[in-house]
Order: sequence, then structure tokens, then C-alpha cells
Amino acid sequence: MIDRRTALAGMAALFGAPLFAPIARAAGLVGKDSRPVISEGPPSVQVFTAPQRALMTQLSERVIPTTDTPGAIKAGVPDYIEKLLADWALPQERIPILAGLDAIEAKCIQDYKVPTAQATPEQLDALLTAAMNAQFADGAPFFVAFRQLVITGYYTSEIGMTQEQEYLPVPGEYHGDYLYSNVNKVYTA
Amino acid sequence: MASTSKYDAIVIGSGISGGFAAKQLTEKGLRVLMLDRGFMVEHQSGYPYDGKPAFELPARGDVPKAIVESDYFIAKYGYLSTSNLQFYNDDRLNPYVTDEGSKFRWIRPAAVGGKSLIWGRWCFRWSAADFEANKREGIGGDWPIRYDDVAPWYSYVEKYIGVSGSRENLPYLPDSEFQPPMPMNVAEKWVKGRLESAFPGRKLINARLSNMTEDKPEQNRSKCQFRDQCSNGCSFGAYFSTQAVTLPAARATGRLTIRSDAVVSNLEYDPKCKRVTGVRFVDAKTGQAEVVKAPLVFLCASAMASVQILMNSRAPGTDKSYFDTSGTLGRYVMDHIFRTHITGEVPGMTEYIEYGRRPGAIYIPRFRNVGTDDGVGFKRGYGYQGGASRSPSKPVGFGAAMKEGMRRYDPWKFSIGAFGECLPYEDNRVSLHPTRVDRFGIPQLRFDVTFRDNELRMMADARTQGEMMLRQAGLVNVTSGESEHVPGEAIHEMGGARMGNDPRTSVLNKWNQAHDAANLFVTDGSQMNSISCVNPSLTFMALTCRAVDHAVKQLHAGALA
Repeated sequence: MIDRRTALAGMAALFGAPLFAPIARAAGLVGKDSRPVISEGPPSVQVFTAPQRALMTQLSERVIPTTDTPGAIKAGVPDYIEKLLADWALPQERIPILAGLDAIEAKCIQDYKVPTAQATPEQLDALLTAAMNAQFADGAPFFVAFRQLVITGYYTSEIGMTQEQEYLPVPGEYHGDYLYSNVNKVYTA
Repeated sequence: MASTSKYDAIVIGSGISGGFAAKQLTEKGLRVLMLDRGFMVEHQSGYPYDGKPAFELPARGDVPKAIVESDYFIAKYGYLSTSNLQFYNDDRLNPYVTDEGSKFRWIRPAAVGGKSLIWGRWCFRWSAADFEANKREGIGGDWPIRYDDVAPWYSYVEKYIGVSGSRENLPYLPDSEFQPPMPMNVAEKWVKGRLESAFPGRKLINARLSNMTEDKPEQNRSKCQFRDQCSNGCSFGAYFSTQAVTLPAARATGRLTIRSDAVVSNLEYDPKCKRVTGVRFVDAKTGQAEVVKAPLVFLCASAMASVQILMNSRAPGTDKSYFDTSGTLGRYVMDHIFRTHITGEVPGMTEYIEYGRRPGAIYIPRFRNVGTDDGVGFKRGYGYQGGASRSPSKPVGFGAAMKEGMRRYDPWKFSIGAFGECLPYEDNRVSLHPTRVDRFGIPQLRFDVTFRDNELRMMADARTQGEMMLRQAGLVNVTSGESEHVPGEAIHEMGGARMGNDPRTSVLNKWNQAHDAANLFVTDGSQMNSISCVNPSLTFMALTCRAVDHAVKQLHAGALA
């Protein structure tokens, strides 16, 4: 259902003239709090079913696994993805992710006769590779979007920025000829 | 002073010009009321995201698209993050109109401090030739001032705010009073050497920035810490902002009163004495209108907003502004044209990376039509801003190998973007919409501004020359791009209330004083007759200080009463 305030604000734009005060108030166009607020806290809607969420979580760890630094799960990437799709992205941006998860679930049963919850890491990697190579419907759009979500979520997380990469909160100085071998990592932007 | 009012002067606006006006006026002993339409932001405590990494920012710093499209559909052409969103105007709440077939991005601030909190911080002096160009070419109005009129004020401002840069002794880009420059990195030094020898006369120099490289303890300001998070607000006060620099100075006098959330609608005027008699504003929180009075008014609301206020100052039932005897008010609106960029890879030096994050890197000053007409099919010229950096390697595949690969860097990339001078055209204009008003009852500003052949030919040349310079300097994989050139996007909108000696053809005299009101001074971007190709803010600061000096002398002499 279209939010009433949004609908009213859209109508207000149509008039391009001072609104009758009660309508302006209902549309949220008056008062100091009338700017939109960025949603924080838990997701306001449920994006995934429980099995979809479990698969999304497993796959995020396959994209960025635990190595000598923590992987996607420890870095909170699944929570980030769910929050982003619930409240920060446009609703249509959920579509390729959900369609891809369902397609991977189906392909897992078809190829390995088990649900993804019982698949091995190697099987999940094979499914992701098949998606990357566009070997099944909804595979490639899923892979492109999902990898981007995992990478963004990981490298903007505390673990991604401070353990996998090196974060300098206050560099204090600038050196334009610093040896990479001094750090062997990437400095975060 | 014989004034019986509570204030000696009213300053409208608190940005780069308004802040300086308030500082200079209060330091000269005047009691000043500063009005700003934005909400109050205090230095340091008003920067909630200063020093915060992405993982501590709302939505990791990325403004949700739905909010961008509903409320920041103009501001998005600026430099939005969730860490600076509050400093940008809400476009839904504060609409304006563009004529059919023309586009204009009026990217506005939302807070006290104006654009000084979100600006690009580049600081350049104009050259003597910039002030003479209109006269020499018979284009637009002649500047009633020359370089020598402004030079001492440039010096004053530069020493006060702190400008980093390198001494170059270029006649067409005079040096400022510099602190040491931000250093170039190893790739930029390589490009500089090869470009300058391949193209004698062309230069690649250090950025000129209001980001300091030396402390100013007397102002409680520290040098730049190389965080490159300027637009979150800088608690070190390392770059010029109203909050860090001019507001503390003005407050220290004990003579400054600030009224935030005060949306000025118009100036009240006495046609018999030709004086501004009051400033009417609406309190954005309560909706109540008030009129305040003072013998002297400085209008520094930003170029387009000042023009809007001037236009909306008119006798009931008429369309003609009190301040438009010349018929030029709202005309000759300009912005830099700048959606052209060139990129190339710098070969080698892959053992080196950058430590620290600079807020600006290098500049290639104008080389076209310098001193002579080069016969290149357009007038005036352009400069390039840019720099070299290395990005983390792009992801390949997924899994441990991808993660490991992303610990390395791509080669050095060197990128530049052109900033070109737009000529003053009489019919590039703004006006008040006859029927549409905003939520405060103020007629909406209507834009009819387009770039013309001269600007587009200039950008085509900037693209060709940029590619050529990078290739001949030895860069590889050189590419260039251009996106739609929409006026306003450089956020250097200027003109609309130009200076001139003749009241029949200009709005302001050579002291920024309105021809139609001796006690009104307008010192923001609206005053400009032409815009050079360099960033304008330093010139606004210098001209503001110069105007205050004159205004206060006139006030003391009784000439403004």
C-alpha cells in the first residue's frame, strides 16, 4: 500500500503552490522534522524466508570466506544485506536476489539431491560458479548483484576496514611514495 | 553612531561571504545581526559524523535511493553522503522552477555556514587579465575594478584563513600568500616532469587549497590531518569554514547576534531616500514573519538567493524590483562548465602507494587564449583539477582468491577534470515565477540558463587537449568522458546583480554597493561580471572584506544615513 504521506507529498508537488495547512501537515511538509530520516535498527520488513536467509548467509561466506582474517558472516554481512534490502535499497532491487536464491535452491536439489542447507562448501561454490557463468536462469543477475552486496557490506564493516584492510582514522601526514611492502594491505578510503 | 536601533548592521547569509562580512563588521565595532535560513551548526559539536568510518555512518554512508529521489533530487548532483546530508538543502521542501527546455541544478546548503561546510576548498586568485577580459573582448559588462584593487584584500584573506599551495610566478595565475603545498605523490611528479617538457608553457602544479599545512594556534585551528573527510565537518578546523574561522572571530567581539532558521523574503525600501529600511524574514520553525532594521545591510545569501531576495523587494502590485533600475537584475547568470574528464594509467612505480588521504592534489592552469587569441574557436579558457591515486584491485570471481587479490592495488591512475569559463549572456537569466510560491510565501525562482557554443567548444578542446597531454606524457590506456553539461552542477553559480560604474547597466557599484540603495551591499557570487575559469570563493572573501572596509568608512562619514 502506498504510504499516505508519500502520496500527499506527491500531490503537493503537483500544486506547486502553498498548500492548505491541514494537507501540508498530513503530508509531513511542515515542522522541523519534515526531512526524511534514514532507517536504522532492525529491518522494518522481512525480506527473506528462513531458508532464503540461511542460504544467503552461507553464500556470503563463500564469496568472502574466513581466511587469515574473518569472513563475511563474522563481519555481519548477512545482517547488512537484509537491512539494505529491507530499508535502504529500492524494493525492486530485492527481486534478482530472491529469484537467484530460489533458483540456486532448486538447482542444488536437482544437481545434488539435497537442499542447500545440507550442501557442502564445494557444492555451494559450484552453484555460485554456475551462477557467475550464467548457466541457469536468474543466475548471472543474482551473482552480479549479490557479489556487490557482499563486497560492499564486508569492506564497509569494522572487520573489513580494520582487519582485512588497514584503516587510518587520523593519518596526520601524507606520503606519496610509501612502500606497499610496509603494509602489504590496502588502506581504506 | 547616532543609530537608535539595536543593530548597526544586518548580514543576510552566513556562508563564505556572510561569515566574512560579520567578522569584518564586528571587528570594526559594529553590532551585527546575522540571519540565515539554515539551522544552527556549532563548530565541532555540530559535526555528528566527524571522524566516523563507514561502519559508524547511517546506511554505511550511502544515502538510500528513495530518499535521494524524494528529497535530494537536486542535491544529488553535489557530493552527498549520509554523513553530510544534513548540510544539504531538502529539494522537496524548497522548490524552484526551470523553464521548459532548460535545466539548472540549484544545489544549496541547509545550515548556518552555508556552502562553507561542503565546498571544494580550492583557492585561486584571479589574474589581471581576468578582470580585463570583458572590456578587451567587448563581452558583458566591464569590471569597475582591476586586479590591483583586490590584491591587498586577497593577501589579507589568505593570511587569515591559511591557503596551501606552491609559488609558481605565473602571470595568469598569481600566487597567494601560501603555506607549504600539499605534497605531490610519486606518480604526479612523474606526470608533471613529462607533461611540462612535452608541452612547454603548460604547467602541472600543486593544488591551492584552504586546507592548511601549518597550524594556526591563535585561531584554535590545526593543520590538515589527511583524513579527507572534510564534508563531515572538520573539528580540527583545518579548512576554511564559517564555523572554524569567521564565526569565532565575530563572536569574540561580543557584538554578533545570530538568528538561524530565518528565511529572508525581501528588503523594505524607502524610494524617497533610496535606502533599505528593513529586512523581512519568516521564522522557519514558527512561520512568524518579522522585520528587523539597521542602518547598514550586507546581502550575502548566495548568488541566486540574493537575486531572489532583491527581485522580491518591490512595491505592492508591481513586478519591478526596487533594485532593478538598470533592468539587469537576474541577468548574466553563469556557472563553470565541467563535466569533461580524462584518465590514464601511469606506468610503473607499483611498489609505491599513498599513506594518508589528501583533500586535493594537482592543478593544470589555463593555457588557452592567455594574453593572445589562440584562434582555437572559442574565447577564454579552462583549467584542470585532478590527481593520481591507486584503487584496490577489482574483484575477480569469488572466494579466497578474490579476497586475496583485493589486498593489492591496481596501477596508478591519473585523472583530470576541466573547469571552463562561461561567458556572461544577457538572456541567461533568473526571474520570479508569477504564481508559484514556496512554503514561506516567497515567489519561486525561475531559471532560464543554458551553456552556449563557446562553452561547448571549449569543453571539446579540453577533452582533446587533455587526452593529448596524457598520451604524450607517456600515460597508457588513456580514455576520456563527457556527461551532460548542466548549469549549476559546478556549484559555482554567479552573476545576476553585476557590478559596474554605470547605474543604467549594473546593479552594484565598484564597492558592491547597490546603485539604488547606498546602505545595501551585496558581496556574494551575484556581483560577478565574469567568472574566470578558477574557483571563485577566495575572490568573494576578498571583495567582501574590501566592501566592508568601504561601507564602514561611509557609515562613519554619515554617507549612508
